[in-house]
Amino acid sequence: MISHYLDSLSGALSFDRSLARCVRQEVEDHLHEAVAADPSGDRVGAERRAISNFGDPYAIAAQFAVISLAKQTRRVGAAVILVIAGVFIAMRARVAWYAVTQWVMCEDLEAVRGIVGLIDRYSFWLSVIIGVGSFAYISVGRIPQSFYPAYYRQLRCFFLLCTAATGALVISVTSDAALTALELFGTKLPTEFLVPVFSMAIEIICAGVLVFQIRSMTQQTAATAALLKV
Amino acid sequence: MEGEMLKGHLDMIVLAALSAGPAHGYAVIEEIRRKSGQAFDLPEGTIYPVLHRLEQAGLLSSRWMTAESGRRRRVYALTRRGDRALAERRAVWQQFSDAIGGLLAGSGPPRRPA
Repeated sequence: MISHYLDSLSGALSFDRSLARCVRQEVEDHLHEAVAADPSGDRVGAERRAISNFGDPYAIAAQFAVISLAKQTRRVGAAVILVIAGVFIAMRARVAWYAVTQWVMCEDLEAVRGIVGLIDRYSFWLSVIIGVGSFAYISVGRIPQSFYPAYYRQLRCFFLLCTAATGALVISVTSDAALTALELFGTKLPTEFLVPVFSMAIEIICAGVLVFQIRSMTQQTAATAALLKV
Repeated sequence: MEGEMLKGHLDMIVLAALSAGPAHGYAVIEEIRRKSGQAFDLPEGTIYPVLHRLEQAGLLSSRWMTAESGRRRRVYALTRRGDRALAERRAVWQQFSDAIGGLLAGSGPPRRPA
């Protein structure tokens, strides 16, 4: 009976597997201790009482869902900052490499390079401002006890900020890719090719990680809202 | 006592139950029952999300250990921040309780010395 209850609880917590494992162990210990403390001596009755006293697994999962979501959103907030920092380092490394190798660019492409560079710069700094803002926005609040409408609104606002920061970052990374392609135009030496392409790959992976994190957060928000029927 | 009435004070109740020393979930519930004279009768499962939330807020810490039964057990303890939070909540609650007590008794709350 206890293991059936634990399966239901784990199933209801399937949105966060590590949390589900941890909670299962805790609740298992609790229920066995409650059964051991039951004075009746009737094992089946004691298990039934322990489970009944513990409460509905879906109601408990719903409370955990809010905590898990809060943890996930903070993780996304931190990821935004780390990813932007990663893109910045990759960008700086590539520029430093151009300086070290005294890279000379084709003069015909100078005008295009100027425009794309401008787009790159502005979109990157826009992503920094919005990213830092979104991190600060989600970090200051307390973890709520339940999924209040106000918290739902806060999450939506955070989601919009993250999406805006990611959008700006994706534009910056795309501009970087275009600039790198322009810089590499006509390059013959494979070693000179290596560092810009590698740094570009890091930028693309970073942006991809962020998009994936935001997608996971959106899915978890939807799952939590469904669990709580908001 | 009504569950809804308790919900708003669950954090303080759990912190107070842990003020005696580290304990696992079941022991926290037993302590709440004992200290409240069996007045608080919440579904036991509601305590665990509170414990997790308080830990995430830095008010509790936890560690896994093996119980005598051989089962893995998670033991929670108050952190310094948790201690401070409990003291603050206790003071606020005392003020609130004095005010309500005074109101229900038909007089104002006891005056504090200047």
